[in-house]
Amino acid sequence: MQAVVVDHISKCYSDKVPALKSVSFAVNQGEIFGLVGPDGAGKTSLFNIMTTLLFADEGSVTLLDMDVECDYKKVRAVIGYLPGVFSLYPDLTVEENLKFFATMYKSSLTENMPIIKPIWKQLTPFKTRKAGKLSGGMKQKLALCCALIHKPEILFLDEPTTGVDPVSRKEFWDILKTIQKQKITVIVSTPYMDEATRCDRIALIQEGEIIKIDSPEKIVKGFEGSLYSIRVKRIFDTLKVMEKCPIECIFYPYGEYVHAVFYDKNEVTIPIRFADFMKDNNMEYSDMKKITPSIEDCFIELMERRKSE
Amino acid sequence: MKELAMILKKEFWHILRDRVSLFLMLSMPIVLVLLFGFTISSEIRNAKIAILDHSMDSQSKNLIEKISASGYFQVVSYPDNETEIDRDFKSKGGKLALIIPANFEESLAKEQIATLQIINDVSDLNVASILNNYIRSVIYDFTSDYNDLATDPLLFDISVKMEYNQEMNSVYMFVPGIITLIMIIVTALMSSITLSREMETGTMNMLLITPVKKVYVVIGKLIPYMFLSFICTIIILVLSVLVFHMPIRGNLLTLFVLCVIFMLTSASFGLMISALVKTQLDAMMMTMMGLFLPTVLLSGFLFPLDNMPYFFQLLANVFPAKWFIIAIKDVMIKGSGLHEIWLYMLILFGMAVFLITISLSRIDKRRKK
Repeated sequence: MQAVVVDHISKCYSDKVPALKSVSFAVNQGEIFGLVGPDGAGKTSLFNIMTTLLFADEGSVTLLDMDVECDYKKVRAVIGYLPGVFSLYPDLTVEENLKFFATMYKSSLTENMPIIKPIWKQLTPFKTRKAGKLSGGMKQKLALCCALIHKPEILFLDEPTTGVDPVSRKEFWDILKTIQKQKITVIVSTPYMDEATRCDRIALIQEGEIIKIDSPEKIVKGFEGSLYSIRVKRIFDTLKVMEKCPIECIFYPYGEYVHAVFYDKNEVTIPIRFADFMKDNNMEYSDMKKITPSIEDCFIELMERRKSE
Repeated sequence: MKELAMILKKEFWHILRDRVSLFLMLSMPIVLVLLFGFTISSEIRNAKIAILDHSMDSQSKNLIEKISASGYFQVVSYPDNETEIDRDFKSKGGKLALIIPANFEESLAKEQIATLQIINDVSDLNVASILNNYIRSVIYDFTSDYNDLATDPLLFDISVKMEYNQEMNSVYMFVPGIITLIMIIVTALMSSITLSREMETGTMNMLLITPVKKVYVVIGKLIPYMFLSFICTIIILVLSVLVFHMPIRGNLLTLFVLCVIFMLTSASFGLMISALVKTQLDAMMMTMMGLFLPTVLLSGFLFPLDNMPYFFQLLANVFPAKWFIIAIKDVMIKGSGLHEIWLYMLILFGMAVFLITISLSRIDKRRKK
């Protein structure tokens, strides 16, 4: 039995722009599954559909063999949800918030304490502080406690690390790994590509469509084309010029560099041909070297290629 | 049930921690009652009175002196005939005229009866009715003073002639009106604002995906604000009885039952509004426009319904305030019991059931495709 089966889900809001276009994927039990995509890709809509908060126009979602539309009451008992925006009561203290949600799930603070213990330990010093007065990272930890307090079988985390500092982000992912050890399936969305490597499998979503689903390693391995990093002085002008490049390629700014993916079979001659092209256009560059793609390069390559197709 | 208790507890935490709102909610009834009470009843001092004295004897002088000594009136003119009264009303701002018949002293002594006539400018209904009460009490004082000395007790026949507005039907109007307004602010406005706040901040979604029953969520919202508005109602009643001597002629329990039913109706109106809108601001505007204004304008609280065009009289039936004001006036002023106002209670209760049913089906926003 798979934890989550999303089958051809489509959703269109009243403004006629489709938010999700026939999205399908399956998540194995005990897996950390990442939904990676830019803002507006449809991640939150998909989460709302999976967590019974929104009806899809077409398609179906089954969680542990239960349909989210028909069996929504049973589904609600086995899922935990951490929404993208802070959705706890800011005027209640940390402990009161947790107690409240524990009671709503017919559970108690003590019953499932072992599961939340590692997180709760960090929150204990702030027990009597109002939730609204917590730092961003602490807020997310509290929200995670609230989502876990009833020992859900599937945990949905909608952009849990957005707006959280790098140290807290790392901590948060460490926590997710310990949650996974408790046999809880975790579905997490993030706009940060570097976080994708910490998932068992990831789905890349763009404009309501899933572009690729695989493990991070396989996605990196399956990178098509050869990737070069090029140091340039005037990034904007360079990008403009490169649009006219005779070698089939995709390029994008990457910090102070430009990354270029060439799809030419005659790989050895690429640097020479590129040098000629740049010279013809009076563009300076230095440090052109072939690099191994990061997961981020894979995503950008996939997205750019899809855009140009 | 444990869940409901927790929701209630949480709601009271919200209320008690928002000190400003709590302070406003509890001080509002006090401020409103005092404001309405004092501006309506005792701001009238030195009202201008015209006295047409046909007898000019010692007793009529006595009476005039008593009137000017009372502090309520300032004699602005002594017209010679009745047409001059009208002139003085218009030119000298007279609010009241007293006509003392000829041979006043003589008829008092001989017949123990005298007929005084009072002419009222009722263009301002509230002022007129208050002045009317003042002059009656002054004359009553005069009578009892006279009776203390005289051997034969007096009978006064005061005939009051109303001008400009024949019906005066709002003496104790403002207390029921304020109770209605406060209840709507506290129950409808507050419950709709706090519910839409939960929708706006996403906590409603968090609540919805828990297995907790929706009806608990809703009841948990209604009860605390009904409780608060009950406290406000008691504050209003205590103030109006102690400070303004408002009568509560009916049974107190009947009055409370009626209030609770109206609170439920009003709260479910708030619930319905929050089910229709998405933000707190919308909820506030909707409650103001859709409930508060009609309550002020169409309930008969400030403007008598009988004078309105037929369409508005029909429209008034839709709003709970009309029925509540009729019922609460009956209980407080006429002393009606349950058996006389049950129909109004039933209408209010029916409205509440109807509104709650609709809101419950709409509160889970996922059902809105």
